[in-house]
Amino acid sequence: MTQTADIVIVGAGAAGLAFAWAAVAPNIKVVVLEAGGHVNQRVAPSLASDWELALQTTFNANPNLRRGVADYPVDDSESVIRPAIFNAVGGSTIRWGAHFPRLRPSDFRKRTLDGVAADWPVSYKDLEPFYDLNDEIMGVSGLAGDPGNPPRATRSCPPLPLCPATRRLAAAYDRLGWHWWPSDAAILSRARGTRGACNNCGPCGVGCPRHARASADIAYLGVAQAQGVELRSGAVVTKLERLGHDITDVHYVDANGPARLSCGEVVMAGNALGNARLLTGIIDNPLFGCGLMLHPTAIVTGLFKQNQQSWRGAFASALVSQEFYESDESRGFIGGLQLQALRGQGPLTTALGGYGLRLPWGQRHKEDFVARFGHSLSLTVTCDDLPEGPNRIALHATQTDRHGLPVPRMIYRVGENSQKMLDYGIKRASEALREAGARQIAINPLVRNGGFHLMGTARMGVDDQAGVTDARGRVHGMNNLSVVDASTFVTAAAVNPTPTLQAIALRAGTAMRDGKITQRAIA
Amino acid sequence: MTGRLTALLDTLLPGDGGDWPAAGAHGLAVHAARLADDMPGGAEAMAGVLDALPKGFVDLPQLRREEFLHEIEAQDAARFDAVITAAYNAYYTDPAIRDIIERLTGYPNRPPQPEGYVLDPFDESLLDAVKARGPIWRLVD
Repeated sequence: MTQTADIVIVGAGAAGLAFAWAAVAPNIKVVVLEAGGHVNQRVAPSLASDWELALQTTFNANPNLRRGVADYPVDDSESVIRPAIFNAVGGSTIRWGAHFPRLRPSDFRKRTLDGVAADWPVSYKDLEPFYDLNDEIMGVSGLAGDPGNPPRATRSCPPLPLCPATRRLAAAYDRLGWHWWPSDAAILSRARGTRGACNNCGPCGVGCPRHARASADIAYLGVAQAQGVELRSGAVVTKLERLGHDITDVHYVDANGPARLSCGEVVMAGNALGNARLLTGIIDNPLFGCGLMLHPTAIVTGLFKQNQQSWRGAFASALVSQEFYESDESRGFIGGLQLQALRGQGPLTTALGGYGLRLPWGQRHKEDFVARFGHSLSLTVTCDDLPEGPNRIALHATQTDRHGLPVPRMIYRVGENSQKMLDYGIKRASEALREAGARQIAINPLVRNGGFHLMGTARMGVDDQAGVTDARGRVHGMNNLSVVDASTFVTAAAVNPTPTLQAIALRAGTAMRDGKITQRAIA
Repeated sequence: MTGRLTALLDTLLPGDGGDWPAAGAHGLAVHAARLADDMPGGAEAMAGVLDALPKGFVDLPQLRREEFLHEIEAQDAARFDAVITAAYNAYYTDPAIRDIIERLTGYPNRPPQPEGYVLDPFDESLLDAVKARGPIWRLVD
């Protein structure tokens, strides 16, 4: 097995595999190191009646509870939101709802338009061709023509259908005069190649045995390997060796023991937590680790008298409202929010509270269960967080994992602006659900297990005063080190980051392939 | 121990005299204990709650049992939460209970896959009103 590579990518998730596919060429050796193993979705838990138990165990989003072989502990004692990441080939796209929105042009110009945060060194137009390319590779269902977003290419599949509850909601939005649109979803509504069409089963979060729901391994790994990308799974990177402004070697441990790869370029795609464990001490920019943005999220649930059979349908990809997406000073906060419909809960998840609060035990329990199960529809209030205050990723002074790597600390509190946004969004979501006919509203004011989007701790900027990396993720002050995941985001926007981080990775990988590699592997 | 766990489960998830059986009487004690074992800290939580039950708990009427459990819950909510999760896990994955759910709600007692549900086409005419409003995104540059 070769111990040199032109490009070593750390992390085989959404960004890492997209970058690998874009960067590889006949004369460029690309090796991807991934701590986790493969997840065979053909035997996903949804093939068994007790699939909901997997959400608490092997598919638990919280690595501190999941405790898989590739998981490292995260100190979340100073954060009101707990981490929700997945360590495997495919990364967190193994454990996601495949909701696939793009940022808006205004999200890249927050300083210019709203006077907060900073402008990105790239624009929507810069990323647009890579958004389109990524949509094609991932396989996106949706509908062009959304008045909430710039015109875009026809989606490769028609949108996923609405269900009785989301039809009610859409009609309510129309009566209120609010925007709504079917979600862009990385879920095929028509079969393509070896991937089947979605069959509306609901629990996308435990993997898709039909491969209708995309994940990075399903969409990118095969085509990347066909072009020569080499994946080494179960390979835990333990150290980057630095000489001056270069990373010369990547040390890792796998089933065969310690190993070392001499490298021309190193590309970090291990998310803000994983990257911090390896880059602290390598990157000396004081911005590194700071400005952590999450998407603080509230969930408002409406209960309907009639059974809506709301266990059917992709749980996170039905429709969204972006009526309150752009800044409006009259609302009392800067930035905006998205309301995203949620459904698809099974009976156990309903009893345990699902998107809201756990059903009470005791004599009221059965009555409450019958009133709620299948009768609910939820809306997320997803907020455009700001890089502010003490929010950051740091390292624990003494705690280490089993490989001796420091335990990352997630330090986060909801800022004043984001709290105002949450409060406003909860009122609007409640209004919409009541208009849709909900007879009762339940509010989860902050999703504690919602640390799924870790952004901003290695943000882009035109120079090292403005950011940790440049527009293509190359770390300022280093010759051959890049970061390409959501930690390079300058602003959070109010939507899920995956299409954007993949577009950034494709753009950066393409640039590296087309002649911007500054070094070659040291034999 | 099993008798106390059965009584605990019956208190958390009592029968309604009609469709729904009580969890303990339905024979879920062993399954619930095993599921608690699978949870981080679950076995300790289950043992702690069982130890906290007063003598004679099994012979008390439901309302009195609930009073005791509310006291135990107030003392250590996280520990009690783990026990509730184990109880709900056992109850709502039990095939006989899933039959009841199917009968009462229409949720089929089968795995979501491979059968799934019908995927109807999206009705684009639903969007006429939204389209009529025109663009709402901010132009940049």
